[in-house]
Amino acid sequence: MKTLITLNINGDAREIYIDARRSLLDILRDELALMGAHRGCDSGDCGACTVIVNGQPVTSCMMLAADWNGAEILTVEGMAKDGQLHPIQRALVEKGGIQCGFCTPGFVMNIKALLDENPKPTEAEARAWLAGNLCRCTGYAKIIEAVMSVAEESA
Amino acid sequence: MNSFDHFTPATLTEALSILAERNGNASIIAGGTDLLLRVKNHIVKPAAVLNVKRVPELRALSFDSNEGLRVGALTTLRDLTRSPLIRDCYPVLASAAGLMASEQIRSLATLGGNLCNASPSADLAPPLIALDAVACLVSLSSERQIPLAEFFTGPGRSVLQKGELLKEIIVPPPQGKTAYLKHSPRAFMDIAIVGAAVRIQQQGGKCQQARIVLGAVAPTPLRVRSGEESLEGQTLTSEVIRQAAKISAESCSPISDVRSAAWYRKRMVEVLVRRGIEATL
Amino acid sequence: MTDALIGQRVPKLDAPSKAAGKTIYGHDVRLPSMLHGRILYSRYAHAKIIRMDTSRAEKLRGVKCVLTPKDNPPHRFGYGKDNKPFKDIARSLRDEIAGVVATDADIAEEALSLIEVDYELLPNIFSPREALSEGALLIHPEHKSNLFQRYNYSHGDLAQGESESAVVVEEKFLLPYVSHVCMETSVVVAQFDHRDHLTLWSTTQIPFLLQRDLSEALGIPGSNVRIIQTAVGGAFGRGLDIYPYEPIAALMSRKTGQPVRVAFSREEEFLAGPARQPAEVTVRAGAKADGTLTFRDASCMLDIGAYVSWGTVTPLVMMETTASLYQVPHARFTADCVYTNNLITGAMRGYGNPQSTFFIETLMDRLAEALKMDPVNFRIMNANVPNSETPQGLVITSCGLKECLEAVAASADSARMNVYPERSRRNEGGRLVLSEVEGMTVTANIKPSPFNLQPPHIKRGIGFASTLNVGGGARIYRSDGCGATVKVDDFGHVTLVTGSTEIGQGSETALAQIVAQTLGVKIENITVLNSDTDIKPWDVGVHASRTTFIAGNAAYLAAVDARNQIFETAAQLLGVGVDQLSASAGQVTVRDEAGKSISLEQVARRRHFKEGGKVILGEGWYDPPTQLVDKDTYKGNISAAYGFGAQMAEVEVDIETGKVRVLRLACANDVGHAINPMAVEGQIEGGAQMGLGYALTEELIVKDGKVLNPDLLDYRLFTSADMPIIETRIIETDDPGGPFGAKGVGEMGGTPTAAAIANAIYDAVGVRMTQLPMTPERVLAALDEKEKRARV
Repeated sequence: MKTLITLNINGDAREIYIDARRSLLDILRDELALMGAHRGCDSGDCGACTVIVNGQPVTSCMMLAADWNGAEILTVEGMAKDGQLHPIQRALVEKGGIQCGFCTPGFVMNIKALLDENPKPTEAEARAWLAGNLCRCTGYAKIIEAVMSVAEESA
Repeated sequence: MNSFDHFTPATLTEALSILAERNGNASIIAGGTDLLLRVKNHIVKPAAVLNVKRVPELRALSFDSNEGLRVGALTTLRDLTRSPLIRDCYPVLASAAGLMASEQIRSLATLGGNLCNASPSADLAPPLIALDAVACLVSLSSERQIPLAEFFTGPGRSVLQKGELLKEIIVPPPQGKTAYLKHSPRAFMDIAIVGAAVRIQQQGGKCQQARIVLGAVAPTPLRVRSGEESLEGQTLTSEVIRQAAKISAESCSPISDVRSAAWYRKRMVEVLVRRGIEATL
Repeated sequence: MTDALIGQRVPKLDAPSKAAGKTIYGHDVRLPSMLHGRILYSRYAHAKIIRMDTSRAEKLRGVKCVLTPKDNPPHRFGYGKDNKPFKDIARSLRDEIAGVVATDADIAEEALSLIEVDYELLPNIFSPREALSEGALLIHPEHKSNLFQRYNYSHGDLAQGESESAVVVEEKFLLPYVSHVCMETSVVVAQFDHRDHLTLWSTTQIPFLLQRDLSEALGIPGSNVRIIQTAVGGAFGRGLDIYPYEPIAALMSRKTGQPVRVAFSREEEFLAGPARQPAEVTVRAGAKADGTLTFRDASCMLDIGAYVSWGTVTPLVMMETTASLYQVPHARFTADCVYTNNLITGAMRGYGNPQSTFFIETLMDRLAEALKMDPVNFRIMNANVPNSETPQGLVITSCGLKECLEAVAASADSARMNVYPERSRRNEGGRLVLSEVEGMTVTANIKPSPFNLQPPHIKRGIGFASTLNVGGGARIYRSDGCGATVKVDDFGHVTLVTGSTEIGQGSETALAQIVAQTLGVKIENITVLNSDTDIKPWDVGVHASRTTFIAGNAAYLAAVDARNQIFETAAQLLGVGVDQLSASAGQVTVRDEAGKSISLEQVARRRHFKEGGKVILGEGWYDPPTQLVDKDTYKGNISAAYGFGAQMAEVEVDIETGKVRVLRLACANDVGHAINPMAVEGQIEGGAQMGLGYALTEELIVKDGKVLNPDLLDYRLFTSADMPIIETRIIETDDPGGPFGAKGVGEMGGTPTAAAIANAIYDAVGVRMTQLPMTPERVLAALDEKEKRARV
């Protein structure tokens, strides 16, 4: 059964016929070719598919797209403006928070959600908030450093 | 994943009608974080999925000093951690929710889903039962209330009948102090090896009422009445507390699984109950 | 030099694209008409397939074809030449027995469930001991024994060593299965063209060996195989072998005439991917009363599973730790690599070293305790020293082991004083540094409460461990070489083509720094191509912490060659001798003659446009001056340089729950010279995350050949919230053989972690943990055991 839904993605309204089985992540990657959200586990445990839906960070693999008709969705592709990386992205680059980079888009989005709600988190708050984003390369050290540096800059 | 019909009702009546029509062969999706996992792993093969996220009747969140808290099934774990009402009046619910999964999952997962999924390790069940919460169940033909302690009947099973939905939870005005301790290897992203909720209401230096509720040590959340009785009417000396913790450990017979051996769960019950009681003093 | 790039914290060249979500990983490869393949695994751990009916699966709409053992080429493949794409006898639960190709992965998945298979069950062997027992069924009858290989090494005279010992300690260790858990699951896209040429988009770490392996597996010439490496979402040794899904994808593409993608689910990754070998180890060690080590004797039994991989060579590294970490006059090491019906195992970061460092460094601690010596001083007095040769034949050039131990001892002092890092101070580079210990870079500021405020059930402890790791390649193949070319175009832009691969570790950037420095150009003017076997020169692969050293030397040589060509033309144009020239800021300048210079771009153009013109194309090949170890004695200098490191762990143990919390991990590493300190720190910090998991939380729980926790919920990686404070300290010893003095660092970060934590637990609560991971349950059981013994 296919249904027509509208997703507002990175400011664009996209009308899509979807199979009810498809997750939001499936739709982003396979229908809309937005492949920045990554499929690391498909069960909500790794955070690589994190996007922001209606202002909240979510694992897009654990959402049926059909349930989210009309939602406002921000993905990593919507972060850079005028060809310039978002400060969060820039900080991750400059502080060395990116190695293989597979987890990076998920971190970018969850860090965005964190700083939107809490622009000056303590390090412990940042670490707790990001516990749902697994990284196997960096030991998180430089990711956290990037978060703290963005928080500091915005002060 | 198998294919299924998908419905998004806009009212409770509509939702219940679809549920009735489908004669129980519809899976209700709220946050989806439990259901989708089960569908992806072929544990559940729903013929229809009923998205209840647009049903306003499931979104209650209000407090009355006589009746207590009404909290709708659609309340997300994130809502529980953020709501000033819950943080002020029932901080244990905010903290229990905050220990669960991740920020991303907490944005999706709901109170109703956590309870209806009926996992023996569900983190919200022990503190809610300790608070004497009541579940409101609705169907097209009836509406009933049942103590949450009687809601669970086994792993993944509850008293919910075909055509019935969990509408909301009612939590009486807080009496005494409640603590929920969760033991897991990691700080977040873990299922509890053991969860222990304790509520202690004291008067005149003596424990007037006690609740001890355990998670992950039995097929359902387990209320330890003998442990509670050992506390009630007593001055809570360390000896009395130790005794209650010991009784709690002895009264459960957990299983061994990939997360823990049975002996270790029993030991943790003793530690957590003791620390839980201490945390309420 | 003016524009010094070596030693700079240069952000990774590939990072902006990764941050933007624009990098193309294997899972993102989309080709026209691409089909999807799924694999059916055996239902039983040991069984003969006696009947397979694929007709229902073939009839499913969208299914293109079903492959079975009948589709196998006649050749076997793999390190032990014991594997085939599809098996007619399943030897483990991860054995591929059929495959489906369909228009989408869901249809392929559904089709798998329609394949009917009848099995004839064979006896299962799930323990190496049982596999070696007399009359045990042979898992690979053609191999004549379930013992695939026995390593037997010794130097000195064990009996003499033992007789000279004032103290002797012995311990048994149990090491678990663990998994790489690359954030990107295994994926491959295969496409045969009309000339029967195969292109494979792959996450491999060994493109050229895979090219050869695939040609053998498929029975086609190697020249018909092209490997294109996509951006790799984590590797850590996973990509060091050929796996059946790769030839399977190729067979699927050949049969359908269309490109086919095979992508693993996370569950499949845990079930069918390689794991680190579990092992049972018995170790004895001794020392004289003055603290001098006398001997070590280790024997290991490794469960390698149903098929052999490069991981079976890991005893070579375990042997190295046993024989050569510290000065050990007498040593013996034996290891049996045994076939069972369990999971397949493979190479994983450290390649045996996290295992052996755990047992060796635990014994070092026991010796220090028995001798009543300070654990750091005991280690320092036995430490390896520069310009020495170990009895095993390792030629140690630079060595900063003593300095590493001293550095972490300083962190231990601040830990004992309960001093925690402040984020108040920064060095010139703006880096946050630990104010109490000079030079330590600190990555967290979660402050534990002071010791005297801890509740009585919380005990604190401090532990140490060191590591020795190859840092100048590791010759486990005939060549340990790498090729590189450096081209300068007529815009002065430089292209480095290297045989080695970026797998996230930052090699691309480090190599670009080396080339940019050598040619005197900005890092922005460098492009690195490193992902296509049709373009790049040969390299043995990304492993053994070898890339900075080996590929770095090759890139350096190629850059010097290019620079010579530039200077040759520039000298003619400027009318000076070649020896008067230097390159910097994109210019070739004449030394001692201010203002006399010519741009790189001009040189290139003049060289291109003149009659009989030439390309500026430098070439470099570097194969280190090392040896394959002797096949009987296992002696020889396997690496051109050795890296050293030490860690200090400060832990809290909850004696009522057994839960261990690591508060601080101080890591000091001798890396020769840090080409890019930020990348070096990244390797150490990331290695620490793996080491912490190996120590405390990670374990594939396997029962009767089946993984019981194949998900990221119950296979527990450390999250950001679980990480301790990590202090990193880079020790520079400037290795004579390394590019700009550099040595490898890729694997050392997590190697000593488990031992440091185990030793800290002992310091805190007096129990020796000998089984990994040290879960709360195991720690509590050990505490119970200790109490029981005390009562007796």
